[in-house]
Amino acid sequence: MVETVPRTLRAASAFPDLRGSAEPRHAGVLVCERNPQLVTMIAYKGRRSDVSARLEAYCGLALPLGPRRVAKGESAVIGLGPGTWLFQREAGRPLAAGLSEALGDAAAVTDQSDGYATMRLTGPRAAAVLEKGISIDLHDLAFAPGLAAATSCAHLGIIFWRLENANGHPVYEIAVFRSLARSLWHFIEESAAEFGLAVTAQR
Amino acid sequence: MSRLQAGGLVDRGRSLRFAFDGKSYRGFAGDTLASALVANDVKLVGRSFKYHRPRGLLTAGSEEPNALVELRTEARREPNTRATTAELFDGLVASSQNRWPSLAFDLLSLNQLFSPLFVAGFYYKTFMWPASFWEKLYEPLIRRAAGLGRASGLPDPDAYEKATAFCDVLVIGAGPAGLMAARTAARAGARVILCEDDFRLGGRLLAERDEVDGRPGSDFARSLEDELTAMPDVRIFRRTQVFGVYDGGTYGALERLADHLPTPPTGMPRQRLWHFVAKRCVNAMGAIERPIAFANNDRPGIMLASAVRTYLNRYAAVPARRTVVFTSSDDGWRTARDLVAAGTEVIAVVDPRPDLPALLTAPLSRQGLRLVLGAKITQAFGGSKGLKAVEIAQGGSVFRIETDGLAVSGGWNPQIGLTTHQGGRPRWSPELSAFVPSSLPVGMRMAGAVSGDYGLSACLQSGCAVGIAAAEECGFTGTTPEVPRAQDEAVAVTPLWHVTGGHGKSFVDQQNDVTVADIEIAWREGFRAVEHLKRYTTLGMATDQGKTGNVIGHAIMAELTGRSMEETGTSVTRPPHLPVAIGAFAGRHRGRHFKPTRYLAGHDWALRQGATMVDAGQWLRPQWFSAPGEKDWLASVTREVTTTRAAVGVCDVSTLGKIDIKGQDAGIFLDRIYINRFSTLPVGKARYGVMLREDGFVMDDGTVARLGPQHYVMSTTTANAAKVMQHLEFHHQVVWPELDVAMVSVTEHWAQYAVAGPRSREVIQAIYGTAADLSNSAFPYLACRDIALADIPTRLFRLSFSGELAYEIAVPARYGESLLEELVREAVARGGCVYGTEALGVMRVEKGHVAGNELNGQTVTRDLGLERMASTEKDYVGRIMAGRPALMAADRPALVGVRPADPAQRLRAGAHVLALGAAPIADNDEGYVTSVVYSPAVNSWIGLVLVKGGMTRVGTRMRAFDPVRNGDVEIEIVSPIVVDPKGVRLHG
Repeated sequence: MVETVPRTLRAASAFPDLRGSAEPRHAGVLVCERNPQLVTMIAYKGRRSDVSARLEAYCGLALPLGPRRVAKGESAVIGLGPGTWLFQREAGRPLAAGLSEALGDAAAVTDQSDGYATMRLTGPRAAAVLEKGISIDLHDLAFAPGLAAATSCAHLGIIFWRLENANGHPVYEIAVFRSLARSLWHFIEESAAEFGLAVTAQR
Repeated sequence: MSRLQAGGLVDRGRSLRFAFDGKSYRGFAGDTLASALVANDVKLVGRSFKYHRPRGLLTAGSEEPNALVELRTEARREPNTRATTAELFDGLVASSQNRWPSLAFDLLSLNQLFSPLFVAGFYYKTFMWPASFWEKLYEPLIRRAAGLGRASGLPDPDAYEKATAFCDVLVIGAGPAGLMAARTAARAGARVILCEDDFRLGGRLLAERDEVDGRPGSDFARSLEDELTAMPDVRIFRRTQVFGVYDGGTYGALERLADHLPTPPTGMPRQRLWHFVAKRCVNAMGAIERPIAFANNDRPGIMLASAVRTYLNRYAAVPARRTVVFTSSDDGWRTARDLVAAGTEVIAVVDPRPDLPALLTAPLSRQGLRLVLGAKITQAFGGSKGLKAVEIAQGGSVFRIETDGLAVSGGWNPQIGLTTHQGGRPRWSPELSAFVPSSLPVGMRMAGAVSGDYGLSACLQSGCAVGIAAAEECGFTGTTPEVPRAQDEAVAVTPLWHVTGGHGKSFVDQQNDVTVADIEIAWREGFRAVEHLKRYTTLGMATDQGKTGNVIGHAIMAELTGRSMEETGTSVTRPPHLPVAIGAFAGRHRGRHFKPTRYLAGHDWALRQGATMVDAGQWLRPQWFSAPGEKDWLASVTREVTTTRAAVGVCDVSTLGKIDIKGQDAGIFLDRIYINRFSTLPVGKARYGVMLREDGFVMDDGTVARLGPQHYVMSTTTANAAKVMQHLEFHHQVVWPELDVAMVSVTEHWAQYAVAGPRSREVIQAIYGTAADLSNSAFPYLACRDIALADIPTRLFRLSFSGELAYEIAVPARYGESLLEELVREAVARGGCVYGTEALGVMRVEKGHVAGNELNGQTVTRDLGLERMASTEKDYVGRIMAGRPALMAADRPALVGVRPADPAQRLRAGAHVLALGAAPIADNDEGYVTSVVYSPAVNSWIGLVLVKGGMTRVGTRMRAFDPVRNGDVEIEIVSPIVVDPKGVRLHG
């Protein structure tokens, strides 16, 4: 038999059709695709405090209580439900293996980096687009930076959180099941059309 | 032209062209279609519903019953639009409806001659029998003769969308009370949403000559609007109607973004449906004037007195050259005063009240008007050219006055529709002579005319007080502001519902052509409760929901029955309070976007290969791949099956549910979920499993692979993926919380492909390279393993649904398309192909495997030949209920194969099987065909069938009867496995 080597595979974007309708400086809404590593952590029975301690030792992040997002450097943790969190890291070393090792027998760690497609929205009319799909109050008093929600957007189940303002405008990120990325994009593209939509590069 | 030289809130600098029934006219920016028609002396605007009587404008607002027109043309043609709320734009094209051949000469007005046919209850009486005549004769006839506008019949070119907004205080209506309430609440710090149906804020402030703080009312409204606009936590919605009150402080509203434009600007939806979520609501919707019923009270030129003032003051448009006012309320006198002040001719004021204060009468009698007190108008004269004269009875004398305009006021009804949406019952207020709410929806308060505060000063005061109260209930503290100075007009009323003695129909509900006589018929025939009256006469139905006529009808019924207004009551309403286009409820979810679509990682690639896609739940899956020259789907599917069995095929199976299950009790958990055991499964092996619902029926099947001592990955069918996840979560959280187990769906993380056929190992080997040992001994049937492909983690399973040597390979989804491409390239190099769900189905039926058609929620393990899988040494979900006698009965239909006796005959899934010669009746039914495919292996249609006796019937000839598709085929019951019955290929 002829020796062959493992095949090299090419990664594809979850959003194949991103197209803006406006120049960024004239756009009411600016979007960009995000590609963080994502890992779900589920604490085993009675092991929440171990998860908390080991996570802190691993990356200096404290587990958030409730639907919140805490961040430090490139890492962030979002509370998804009782004993369940989503760990994000923008880049760097493969996350799932390291985190699994760090948390040991305290939590089930599962790589979901390809399970979700993530989109960032900002700009003066970002909230005006989101209120067309998301039925939660986006006012500063109700959904401040650092808050998160597992909710729905235009019939799509999403994980949704708010980052610190940038250029005076709120910044949101939406994670949706990867197969639904095009449906999310369809919602954003149509809902933002009246405000002008710009697609910006990652980073 | 009947436009005053000066005044009004129209922009005389912006002249707009528009057309009505093909004739072109001009109006101004700030006009409605109705006010522009008034300004152009157009009196006749429509024909009535049943009798095709000529009709003009009755009102100047959203309560309009008559002036329903078709706006725009072609695909954008919109029927039943109220001319009174349609904002004029340059190039507007409107036409009247419900007439033929023309508005002025309507042949269908002959309906009037047959009017005995159209009286109350005519549907019920005339067209009772025979039932078949309804569809063929009566309904088309009625639809042609009676009815409203025509839908365009074309796809709507415009977009609609939905949105949600939150506030502390929602204020409905931006008249004097609403504006004050909004300002007061906003100044206290509350987040306020102010909603106004009109395109301009101000309500009656725009339509009256009243001053506030010494300034015109419209200026005052503008200053409040400016203040509110500058406040960051106030949102003002113009052209927005709140149409419904729902649970938990939720309100439905429709924002008309582009109805005042020729076409919506690029990117802008035409309308937006809002959900407003408010802690408190201030209902400041005002009141609607009610007419008085008398003979021919529907002649064009007869208008509500308040509407006359609106046209005059707001639009500087004069509805008539000479006007008579007929009023039983002080309010009508205002109309006479305003008309005189504007320099138009008022001939007489007719008031049934004999004694009126001089304060009311003196200013007009000084002008030389004829004041006819203690008198009633008994009849109007005129036709399609409009009103010509009215007949007045005073004491014993009857006389006529020639006039082309009549302003009528019978008092006011607070707009309480929204207050009844959650079951609130209106009560009669003798003080107001009107129905008022007896209770309000939770969180709602009323301000201004809707609560009976009719005077302007009273409205401003009540707006302040209610605004502050609402804000305080939301936790804010405000100070009661100084209430702006204004007059309270006299508002006394002595209700007069209808006048008898004239000749001609007296209309109660003009939109439905319900007359006083119809109410009498309903009374005579026993339909006396208001809700019965509504159904029998159609009083209060259709687009205006009886906003002007309802109460008159109920008052007449009260008179007839001798009961009081309290006892008689009034009908309640449900959402929507005003018409809402269905498109607005659909929003963006039209066509393909009715529901979300889930796309495979290899979707675009599959399309490029000529795939025909099929909906599988939300997923789109390749059904088959057409090769050049293939004339139909069967040719493609047959090639895909033959190629796979001869060489190798690749199929996207990413849609199957995948659930990672981890933890020290994972094995025990699975033992309890499945009928068979998984705690004993060795690491690196997979096993087929079946799970039951609690009621003992089969729920789902699939494989579970054990990737580590505490790590299993479960696969589910595509259709049941979410349901199974829910089932697992429920049992984990509720039934066995003591088990230490964690689960998460990884369906979306992994793209997974089946590679099947005798050469499948070569394809897999090519992907992993020769270093990976995939030999039969190293990686036997049902093996599974995590294997890294360079730095990409993959999962490899040796599973087969086709009966061939087969693998499933999973990669993180971003690499899915690339892997699929590589797999198919390797397969094609070995004489193989890519295949779709049809070929997948063919191969599983050839092997007798069950799928969705058999796991249909009505089958138990025994029916499917799976009972031997069930462990007798452990408990599992559904075990007890599966033992119920009916589920154990020997004559339950069980799974077996089926073939047509003549191989050329076609079988159909869904056909029922009967003994040969048995009559095709339900009593003789012995089961049904669940799945049918064309099998290239035997060159015949084959199927799976659930038949009484199951395998014991093999060899029996029966009949497959399919009355739906005229199928009646002789069949033979056979073994369900037609390919490789010994299962040799599987082990490759």
